[in-house]
Amino acid sequence: MHHGYHDNNEPDLAKLQATMQAIELACSSIQMHVNPAAAEATILSLCQSPQPYKACQFILDNSQVPNARFQAAAAIRDAAIREWGFLSAHDKIKLISYCLNYVMQHAHSQEGYVQAKVSSVATQLMKRGWLEFQATEKDAFFQEVRQAVIGSRGLHVQFIGITILESLVSEFAPSTSTAIGLPREFHEQCRTSLELNYLKTIYCWAQEAALSVTNNIVQSNSEILEVKVCTAALRLMLQILNWEFQYSTSAVESTKKSINVFSTGVRFDVNSAKRSEYALVQPGPSWRDVLIHSGHVGWLLSLYGALRLKFSNHGYWLDCPIAVSARKLIVQLCSLTGAVFPSDSGQTQNQHILQLLSGILQWIDPPDVVSNAIKCGRSESEMLDGCRALLSVASVTTPHVFDQLLKSVRPFGTITLLSTLMAEVLKDLMDTSTDEETWSWVARDILLDTWTTLLVPTDLTHPSMLLPPEGINAAANIFALIVESELKAASASVSSDEAEDYLQASISAMDERLCSYALIARAAVDVTVPLLTRLFTERFLRLHQNRGASDLTETLEELYSLLLIAGHVLSDEGQGETPLVPEAIQNHFVGLTEAEKHPVYILSSSIIKFAEQSLDSEMRASYFSPRLMEAIIWFLARWSSTYMMPNNEMNKGVKSKTVFESDLQPEQAGLVFLSLFGEHNQGKHILDIIVRIAMTTLVFYPGEKDLQALTCYQLLHGLVRRRNVSAQLVALESWGKLASTFIGDKNLFLLHAAHQRSLSQTLVLSASGMGNIEASNQYVRDLTHHMTNYLVEISGRSDLKNVSQQPDIILGVTCLLERLRGASSASEPRTQKAVFEMGFSVMNPIIILLEVYSNESTVIYLLIKFVVDWVDGQIIYLEAQETAIVINFCMRFLQLYSSYNIGKISLSLSRSLLSEANAEKYKDLRALLQLLSNLCSKDLVDFSSDSIEAHGTRISQVVYTGLQIVNPLITLDMLKYPKLCHDYFGLLSHLLEVYPEMLLELNAESFSHIRETLKFGLRHQDAEVVDMCLRALNALASYHFKETAAGKVGFGSHAAGYKDPNGKMQEGILSQFTQLLLQFLLFEDYSTDLVSSAADALLPLILCEHVLYQRLGNELIERQANPVLKSRLGNALHSLTSSNNLSFSLDRPNYQKFRKNLHNFLVEVRGFLRTM
Amino acid sequence: MSDEEHHFESKADAGASKTFPQQAGTIRKNGYIVIKNRPCKVVEVSTSKTGKHGHAKCHFVGLDIFTGKKLEDIVPSSHNCDVPHVSRSDYQLIDIAEDGFVSLLTESGTTKDDLRLPTDENLLNQIKVGFGEGKDLVVSVMSAMGEEQINAVKDISK
Repeated sequence: MHHGYHDNNEPDLAKLQATMQAIELACSSIQMHVNPAAAEATILSLCQSPQPYKACQFILDNSQVPNARFQAAAAIRDAAIREWGFLSAHDKIKLISYCLNYVMQHAHSQEGYVQAKVSSVATQLMKRGWLEFQATEKDAFFQEVRQAVIGSRGLHVQFIGITILESLVSEFAPSTSTAIGLPREFHEQCRTSLELNYLKTIYCWAQEAALSVTNNIVQSNSEILEVKVCTAALRLMLQILNWEFQYSTSAVESTKKSINVFSTGVRFDVNSAKRSEYALVQPGPSWRDVLIHSGHVGWLLSLYGALRLKFSNHGYWLDCPIAVSARKLIVQLCSLTGAVFPSDSGQTQNQHILQLLSGILQWIDPPDVVSNAIKCGRSESEMLDGCRALLSVASVTTPHVFDQLLKSVRPFGTITLLSTLMAEVLKDLMDTSTDEETWSWVARDILLDTWTTLLVPTDLTHPSMLLPPEGINAAANIFALIVESELKAASASVSSDEAEDYLQASISAMDERLCSYALIARAAVDVTVPLLTRLFTERFLRLHQNRGASDLTETLEELYSLLLIAGHVLSDEGQGETPLVPEAIQNHFVGLTEAEKHPVYILSSSIIKFAEQSLDSEMRASYFSPRLMEAIIWFLARWSSTYMMPNNEMNKGVKSKTVFESDLQPEQAGLVFLSLFGEHNQGKHILDIIVRIAMTTLVFYPGEKDLQALTCYQLLHGLVRRRNVSAQLVALESWGKLASTFIGDKNLFLLHAAHQRSLSQTLVLSASGMGNIEASNQYVRDLTHHMTNYLVEISGRSDLKNVSQQPDIILGVTCLLERLRGASSASEPRTQKAVFEMGFSVMNPIIILLEVYSNESTVIYLLIKFVVDWVDGQIIYLEAQETAIVINFCMRFLQLYSSYNIGKISLSLSRSLLSEANAEKYKDLRALLQLLSNLCSKDLVDFSSDSIEAHGTRISQVVYTGLQIVNPLITLDMLKYPKLCHDYFGLLSHLLEVYPEMLLELNAESFSHIRETLKFGLRHQDAEVVDMCLRALNALASYHFKETAAGKVGFGSHAAGYKDPNGKMQEGILSQFTQLLLQFLLFEDYSTDLVSSAADALLPLILCEHVLYQRLGNELIERQANPVLKSRLGNALHSLTSSNNLSFSLDRPNYQKFRKNLHNFLVEVRGFLRTM
Repeated sequence: MSDEEHHFESKADAGASKTFPQQAGTIRKNGYIVIKNRPCKVVEVSTSKTGKHGHAKCHFVGLDIFTGKKLEDIVPSSHNCDVPHVSRSDYQLIDIAEDGFVSLLTESGTTKDDLRLPTDENLLNQIKVGFGEGKDLVVSVMSAMGEEQINAVKDISK
């Protein structure tokens, strides 16, 4: 066909026919599931055969089987991408124009998927050659498409033209592009080029195409072909407006120096997670003529308006594709912002939005009529799109501008519309109250997002950022409605017998909603907080008056909801930090001087008073169900992290920045009530109540794991996080009671083991509240004495072997080990001494228990975890002598563990029991690797006063010895556990990078184990594991290279080769890896991200094994039969080691040069090497 | 802080007991439990509530430690469950008889001849082949609630 192809024979018709039949057969047998593997192999062989273009085109042109045509197109794509490097420029263009002509000629085809595939092949090849094609070549392509798009070749071809552009835009957008084996940089360049030079033109073409058919659509009464064209054009425009524009902002800065962010009405808020969910559309000033001044919006609105009138006609309805596309485009245009508008204080943008709103209003206004229509069966999609439009508008305007928009056409503001709309939605929610997601459910979420967008505090110093007064009223009303609907839902849910509903689950499901509620409530905090107080008090009274008379489950459920809402309104989630009093609460109530009358104080104290009732055993039995207690504990935890003995300095600091130009003292600025919760006021008393409530949940709610988890992890743990609170805690009698109960009371030994660990940690942490270091340490000693004593005693028993396996003894040992773990993980500089003593005193018992329980996997795991945690907390503080003790202990521990487990084969009748046993082994090993890593950290961070080296301890040696002990246990099977695999290779690559010389001190067995695992790791699925192996290889080879360059032996015999057990000579480790790595790079599948690390590993390997590398290169060339490819390969290999002035050293610039070389090399040769 | 120390009392005859009561809430994954009178290893624990404002209950999934059969149970988490006394002892393997019984050497120097080889073909071979090659094998025998079974083997000839 073409002289550029290598086999110059005339196309052999019979041969082509045969290929076509084979592919057709394969396609139909895949469809019918007849020997699919063979069929796939046939198709694959077409993709992988060299230069299959003629055959593919023959199939496309002649086959009657659509699937065969599809596969042929795919094969063209695969082959061309692979062989791109040595196709001539002419061939490339011919392939693209073949595809283009094909789709145009088959524009009437029914098989849309074949058409789509061929267009996408055309656009992918276009992209592949984008940076090398001449401008004239690209222009020819676009000319051809343009002719189609403007409709000069009929509607079918017009449609095809638009879909080609769609496919082109999606290929050039990085998030939707197809991988073509090139680095990210390439995709970025293509994106830039398209955005700067073509995107706007394409948009205009789509506009033109849509315009050209608009009249026919408006005038028609039934579905016509033009609709399909118009829909496609609308879709293409939407797709382009979804493009992530990159070159809008920089262009702006050069033209307009100062843009006042506020006056343009745009808020740039990257911090708000909400904001990022719907992308703003910011195409930049060059798009102004197309989007703003061309009457585009007017046309679109009138098109949709015309469509609306047709919805009763045949072929049109509310959800028909053209209506959906039009609405989506309208909503998308609402998000238009940035420099596309001239800087005229937002006037143009406001007009633009207003114009859009005037069209959108018909979808949502008046809300009650719209809502009723939906209840009567109208589709809700238009109304939901209206809500989405409001959300988009809210995201590009300030609350003030948002509200003003509507005032020019209606007697009320946009916020009023928003709140009446929301009220309708909430009413419907209350009426239906089913669990299914109804339209009102979806609408509520969108409208809540709109509120959130308006209310998320950005910059409160500017008045336009605040809600206008009507807005505040609207927020108050909406919040009242929200609470009403939530309470209704709560009491209704009582009858539904859904048992599987936990606090955590329900909070996280509701969390987003609750956060939005909180924002709305805070916008009108002086109304909403008293409202909550009133609702709460009413229900509290109801409980009191009832006194067991009737079933109050509904009330309990309502209290539960109120606690969650109140918790969100009053305080923010701290996520480990100390959250401040929410700004809205700080800024309101300015001038309120009587602390006791502060609404926040009143609400807080009435909830605390309610919670206190749970201490009364009678009340507890009748009302305080585990579920209600969960909400109480959750509330107390959240509340106390903000309000309990607050750090006034911090709240003051924020004040001065946020309250506009005021130098009010916090006392004047509405924070006066905070001091009531301080340590000198009611703080101590409230803290005491909280501790007693916490203890109640631990003692009187046996087996309520979820409740106790909240108490241990959130409430108590949160309290001891702050030192000033700890100082008060340790002085409280109730806290002392908690500690003594923990030590001696049987009830607390019945807590879930993990909770005991947490409790132990919390109690030890509270020691930081003691006055001085000695007192802190003594406090810890008193706490931990019972644990160490018990373990010392039991390990000394003469009948240990007999009693150790009794369940009660096992329970006791595991509880105490968990407590020890908790105490270990609480080690702080202040209490480090006591925690060290604690661990020191149980060293011997630990070794004894490891022996006794060698078959009891649960205990063994805890023993290991205790040692891991203890070493982790202690190692950096230890002095040399203590370090030596700890290290000796760890080595004994490792040795013993290994001696019990090496060579042990578990037998079991059941596969599942066996896999359980394996999983336990894996967890053990992972913990042991952690122990080694922890020991490693001594070399990185060390707070001790003298060097440990002075005492003859070398961490590197210790860790290698440890590795030698653990290694035999880590079989290749074990490495199939991904986390273990990560940890193992992480440790290995770290060790090899930091202490490569230690490798020499390993015994032969360990050495070969490391070699084999590295080989295994190189072939791992996970790119990160491969990367770690490559780093290890780099470390190995560069160490050897540097050593030998300095005249030393390096790895000596390991590198030179060795005799295997059968007496056969084996190659040295470095030459093995050189071969392996080359094989990997040239012939295997891997992510392009790995090429850089592979280059870093390959360079030192080549330098070490220069001769071998030459030989391998020559072999590779010799194997190549095709003379053209042969010379290409030769050149590529040559420039791999010589271009860019590569030198024979291992410095940074050289590594970088080699990365570049390897990359070019792979692009050049991998395509044909992999298929030969 | 209180001076009283807590001790776990173990009664003198406890060694003879086959099961021990333990609160359901304290039983963890990987622990043991008796379900339908069979000793099981717990492979899954989940909790749920009886009604909205009711109490927690634990749902256990266990595997019979001898047969591997899956068993399930639901217990209020404050109630007691039976936990089997599972013990394991190691013995050196001295002989395999024709009828499938093995002869094991106890610590006291006597032999224990009442155990069969595992029935599973695969497991059987592991032991038979190892023994046939003259390796020194130690087998570990798991016993609970009056049943015994060989469940692990280790080569100590090295």
